[in-house]
Amino acid sequence: MNGPQPAPDFDAQNYSRPNQNWTCGHACEGRACRSGPDAWGRCQATTECRPVLDLKPGETKGRWRCTRSGGACESGPLPDGTCCRPPFRCSPVPTLRVWRGRITLAVIAVALATLLLLAGNSPFRDRFLSPGELSHAHSGQIFAALAATNGLNPGCGACHIAGNAGPHGFVQAALRAEPAMFDLKALAAAQPGEPVAMDADCLKCHAGRNVHQANAPAISCTFCHAEHAGMVMAATTDASCNFCHGNPVTMAVARPPTVIHHFAGDHPQFRFITEKQSDPDTLKFNHALHLTGSTIPKLPGGTKLDCAYCHQPDAAGAFMRPVKFETSCRVCHSLQFDPETPLLTLPHGSRSAVAAFLHSLPKQYADLAAREQVADVDGFVRSKLTALQAQVGNGEDLEARVFFSNATTGPDRQVGTVSGASRAIFPGCAYCHEVKATAAGLAQITPPVIPEHWLAHAKFNHAKHAGITCAQCHDASHSHATADILLPAKETCATCHSPAGGVNDTCAECHTYHKPQMPQIAARD
Amino acid sequence: MKRFRRQTLTGLVALLLATAGTLWLYAHYCPRLPGYAFLTGWALLTVMLLLTFYNARKKLPFLPLGNSETWLQIHIYLGCFSVVLFLVHLKFHLPHGGFEITLAALFALVSGSGFFGLFFSRVLPRRLATRGGEVIFEKIPALRHGLRTAAEELALGPTAKSPAIGEFYLRRLVPFFAGPRDFWRHLAESRRTVTALLAELDDLHRTGSEAERATVDQLAALVRQKDGLDYHRALQLTLKLWLFVHIPLTYGLLIFTALHLALVFGFSGGAR
Repeated sequence: MNGPQPAPDFDAQNYSRPNQNWTCGHACEGRACRSGPDAWGRCQATTECRPVLDLKPGETKGRWRCTRSGGACESGPLPDGTCCRPPFRCSPVPTLRVWRGRITLAVIAVALATLLLLAGNSPFRDRFLSPGELSHAHSGQIFAALAATNGLNPGCGACHIAGNAGPHGFVQAALRAEPAMFDLKALAAAQPGEPVAMDADCLKCHAGRNVHQANAPAISCTFCHAEHAGMVMAATTDASCNFCHGNPVTMAVARPPTVIHHFAGDHPQFRFITEKQSDPDTLKFNHALHLTGSTIPKLPGGTKLDCAYCHQPDAAGAFMRPVKFETSCRVCHSLQFDPETPLLTLPHGSRSAVAAFLHSLPKQYADLAAREQVADVDGFVRSKLTALQAQVGNGEDLEARVFFSNATTGPDRQVGTVSGASRAIFPGCAYCHEVKATAAGLAQITPPVIPEHWLAHAKFNHAKHAGITCAQCHDASHSHATADILLPAKETCATCHSPAGGVNDTCAECHTYHKPQMPQIAARD
Repeated sequence: MKRFRRQTLTGLVALLLATAGTLWLYAHYCPRLPGYAFLTGWALLTVMLLLTFYNARKKLPFLPLGNSETWLQIHIYLGCFSVVLFLVHLKFHLPHGGFEITLAALFALVSGSGFFGLFFSRVLPRRLATRGGEVIFEKIPALRHGLRTAAEELALGPTAKSPAIGEFYLRRLVPFFAGPRDFWRHLAESRRTVTALLAELDDLHRTGSEAERATVDQLAALVRQKDGLDYHRALQLTLKLWLFVHIPLTYGLLIFTALHLALVFGFSGGAR
């Protein structure tokens, strides 16, 4: 025989076989049988011997002989040829190995059943499989209704094609995915921001990317907008913006080719400063005089004129409403053209209205007399016109003086007051406006241009800056000319909007990628 | 021992180098590689399959696949590395959603049970070596049966003539010899039960006759042997039981991983 032989003292009776699945039921009593149970856990115990029939010549019946090893037993075989001693059978015991196998099979069965139940077509499937909470915009009843309007599945299937089918759909979609699931080379070579098939699903509701630059490279929606990250979709990070703006190659086509990473760092100075732009408005206004001038009277309530009196926020508080003459200026500048008649003032806002007013001056005086309940209206009108003629001569002179005169050419240098009975002496439209003469000699007033938003590509919200004073950003008290653009420089903003300042300084804080705004979900029907 | 140390050192160095390399790749490629999660996922799946193959290797001893000891070392260090890969795959974030949390929990349980098993296999054999000779786990029931028979013979057999010892045996030693005892106490290295029994036997010894004292001494020796047997059983069973968590959950983890694979590609941006 080849191979190692058992040692002479090897106890084959009590040899333990830990790699077998069953042990003899008598093993715990130290009397395990030699053969042990079979592979299926059945006892293989047999009788002590297998009797042999001895037949002598001529005999037909014969005699059964005991063949027990170690000597025949006393009783001998039974008449039917079976051993007289019954087999010492046991109930084989499964080993730990069998139990481990059974538990393994149970775990596999439970895992498969769980997945079939939850990942099949159960009502919990979407929630169970979702890798994170969806944003408000892409969940809930409103989204479901809009998705249904656009013929989309209100669940996962609205964005994921695999969501429209069961587990077989997952596998089919996975096998058709691009890059292919087994193509490791393509997976490694995929570039950030590359448009993917799912973008088409986004565009089913969001019509058009509407990017802020027409020549911006096509970027996958998911590159900037990460879903499954909570009920509020996370704001776009600087990393998304820097994908283009931080890349010198991409930005080489920009004019100027500026690479930007951080606002406080390499973000360029605002263009109105670098290009030395000026306010194109032709209206003449001296901020410094109005805020600090000693001749500026107090307002009717006794308060000092300040920024907030003229610059009022809009309903949202984000921007300032355009300054209106009626609400901000007339309190001091009443357009009183007749020094003797403070209650009669010129209209504002239209050259033709002013001209018509002057042409109907007798009627205007008569209306005033009626309003003031003067008994002798004609006499009142006559006296007023006489007094006015004494100052300006004729109607043409009056009109020319109203439109073209300014403080230096007007009758009085006191052009604004709220004190005394006589409020303001009107110096002429040209005191504030640019007034030109047409070929026919008529006055032409250049309309003021007051932009509502100065930095058109940026967002701003005054309400969020209520904690600081106006002067911290707008140096109005030193501005003497309308041409001054009273916006802060980048450095002023970066005082707070920087890592050192501690206030958010991300690109999205001021800028939006989609212009002017990403179209909202639109129902197709 | 020298070989074991060399293997340990080699394994640790390889693990540290692989971990450092993986973390470097994570820091450099995670932010800029869109297919990062897919690639790390494939790497993790490959490692998991290699780890699982160790179990299959034990069932195929006839194949020339190297010795089991080397496979075990590879299994241990690859298992540790799989945890690094897992964390890198998750970008060091907690998973979200029922399915992913279940998948991560399964991985944690399989890894955790593996670390427990490693700890047990390093600590418990040393403790076993301090308590008697080698005892084959499968033979413990037979040995316990032999001890019980011997104790019964001493206390209640035809030669026994002490009612006090017989009463003590029936009252205190029958439950003790009936089966395995004090699993948790043996794991905790507590000898309270055997100390109490031996103290009571000591009382019998002091008050007994000369013949009774000899019997009590023999019973005390059997009690000590039985306690040692229970100790071996408790520790050896622990060495086997952790596999009842480690192996079944491994297959559960592989099933969940297969679905995870279909899900991440089926629900990816490039799915069509």
